Amino acid sequence: MIRPRKPGPSVTAAERKNLPKQVPFQHGSTIDPAGLAFLRVSEKLITARFISAGIGALIFLAVTLLPLVLKLTGVWSGYPAWLAWAAPAVVVLVAAWEFILIPRQVRAIGYAERDDDLLIRGGIMFHRVMVVPYGRMQYVDVTMGPLERMLGLSTIHLHTASPGTNAVINGLPAAEAGRLREQLSALGEAKLAGL
Amino acid sequence: MSEKLLGDDAAFSTDTEQTWHRVHPVSPLVRGWIAIAAIIFVFGRNSLDSLFSDSGAGLTLKGPDATSLLILLAVVGAAVVIFGVAFFLQWRFTRYQVTDEFVHINSGVIFRQQRRARIDRVQAIDVVQPLLARAFGLAELKFEVADGGKSALRLSFLKLGEAKRLRAAILARAAGVSVDPEAPGLVQEAPENHVLALKPNRIIGSAFLSGTSIFALVVVAAAIVGFVWSGEATILVAAIPFFIAIGASYWKSVTGDFNFRVAVSPDGVRLHYGMLETRSQTIPPGRVQAVGISQGPIWRAFGWYKVQVNVAGYGSDASDHGSRTVLLPAGTLDEVMAVLGLVFPDPGVENPFEVFAAGLKGPGNQHEFVHSPRSARWIDPLTWRHNAFRATDTALLCRHGVIMRRLQVVPHERTQSLALRQGPVMRALGLASFELHSTVGPIRPLVRHMSTANALALFDQQAVRAATARRIHRKEKWLSQDEPPAAPAPETAPEPAAPAPAPEPTAAAHHTLKENHHGD
Repeated sequence: MIRPRKPGPSVTAAERKNLPKQVPFQHGSTIDPAGLAFLRVSEKLITARFISAGIGALIFLAVTLLPLVLKLTGVWSGYPAWLAWAAPAVVVLVAAWEFILIPRQVRAIGYAERDDDLLIRGGIMFHRVMVVPYGRMQYVDVTMGPLERMLGLSTIHLHTASPGTNAVINGLPAAEAGRLREQLSALGEAKLAGL
Repeated sequence: MSEKLLGDDAAFSTDTEQTWHRVHPVSPLVRGWIAIAAIIFVFGRNSLDSLFSDSGAGLTLKGPDATSLLILLAVVGAAVVIFGVAFFLQWRFTRYQVTDEFVHINSGVIFRQQRRARIDRVQAIDVVQPLLARAFGLAELKFEVADGGKSALRLSFLKLGEAKRLRAAILARAAGVSVDPEAPGLVQEAPENHVLALKPNRIIGSAFLSGTSIFALVVVAAAIVGFVWSGEATILVAAIPFFIAIGASYWKSVTGDFNFRVAVSPDGVRLHYGMLETRSQTIPPGRVQAVGISQGPIWRAFGWYKVQVNVAGYGSDASDHGSRTVLLPAGTLDEVMAVLGLVFPDPGVENPFEVFAAGLKGPGNQHEFVHSPRSARWIDPLTWRHNAFRATDTALLCRHGVIMRRLQVVPHERTQSLALRQGPVMRALGLASFELHSTVGPIRPLVRHMSTANALALFDQQAVRAATARRIHRKEKWLSQDEPPAAPAPETAPEPAAPAPAPEPTAAAHHTLKENHHGD
């Protein structure tokens, strides 16, 4: 039986308006637990990932364009023409593929609070669903990079005693991350079960 | 500082805030003897070289001239003084204290360190005696807390009797044995019952019938082929380092596991082993996070298995051949079952022997094991009927492999987190893999390539089972007299088959132990 957890009483109506809507996934994967509504992360994460992927692509493009420019200007005429064109083309293709994937990847990230544990899902090609019991959490990290701060996003990272627990939720709105941290800490305390 | 003068079987009483103890005065010497030996070797050789001169035909004694002898004496004197002062300061600044709740260790001369660990958080206690320490009758006490095996609290070195008393005291406190009002702080060492011992021929046999021997055969074959092919003897010389490494590996596994004994006491499982460096480990009840039983192809002919455990304080322990995480280096099926019964007293099934044997041997779905569906044969052509899981009332059993057979057992209440994974190929075949996260250690429980429906069901049910088991197993202090908080009726329990409250492992030992711990 799966019962989605209701937001705690500490959340006021005004705050709740800012929280993400409960949107069930249209392309729910086959390994999602049935009958569970996952919360999505902010769409702004798409922007953040576009920017960081874009910067990466631009750097690679600049590096691979350098031989091409040198060849066209005749400084390095010995450089093979096909390589000079192919390298930037590959970079552009990879970047385009990434840009197509990013929105879908971000929309695939979801989390759901249940009575005893938190579920996190992610990935399109390599799909993953994870359960982290509240009683097993040792600590919760909330981090904010420069890009995330610009967009008002946070990343939350749950740590258990196991290194295998790689429970990260990217792209939470800062308020939601704060709420989740408080909620998780309170539940963790209430349900703490040693190791 | 009050030095206690007690006999070996005297009781230990815990310290008050003001009482501090020092480790044994020769401990810096025992710890630092390698450094001293190295320095003596280097200096000694240089000075001897200068004393003896090479006069063409051979070594002739030139006769010790006064200056070089003086220099030699000065160097030796300086070394003695420097080491003496350093050792004295190191000893002088290391103090420890065991109170009812904490172990304190203060150390360091320039960089001071004050370490404090909660006794009820103890995961395991080791008493280690390296060869030189044995000569002095000393032992090192290692106190493990759950930090992934990075840094234990270690007291090196104490008199063996003192180390044992400290261990008993810490374990009694951690167990929550109630204090005798007449003599607060007084504890007796819990008795130890012998369970099994491995004979030397088993240890030697298991060392030689291992992957090392296969590697040795490969090296021999390669050297002979190379020699015959090229006719150059240098190839044989090149193989010598390999043989040294192989010999060292044999030596290490034989001496390391020699005289392996398993015993049980109310304070947990005791392991004693070692030929030159002896070690005795104590793992209190409920500290074993996962158990792994494995068998390679050579051992199958002999019916031997290796049993390893995840204990939060031990970590993966890669530094020391992983010997601390080994619960049984090579045991028969009966011995494996005996050891499993110690760390895992309630298997949660009526016919544990058959179920675990099915888990060790496979294949197929006897005893309610669920294996991969037929579609998995495209990625696991040999192992699809071996890769299986079975959930008992108290633990999850994961079976793997044909050539290297493994069985992983994780008690439900030790489950950290769960995950399901599915890649594109697995999706096309309708498969999913289930992961169960345990603490750092040699065992990484995994159920590979189940059918999606089975994996999903396992994922959902395991989350519920773990939650139920956590509610029941709240007791950290395994012998405390107060009852654990009554398990609330699990409102979310999905099925009537929710795990029944497991009997407390040491419940039967309550009465005997009360007397043993604070008898007299």
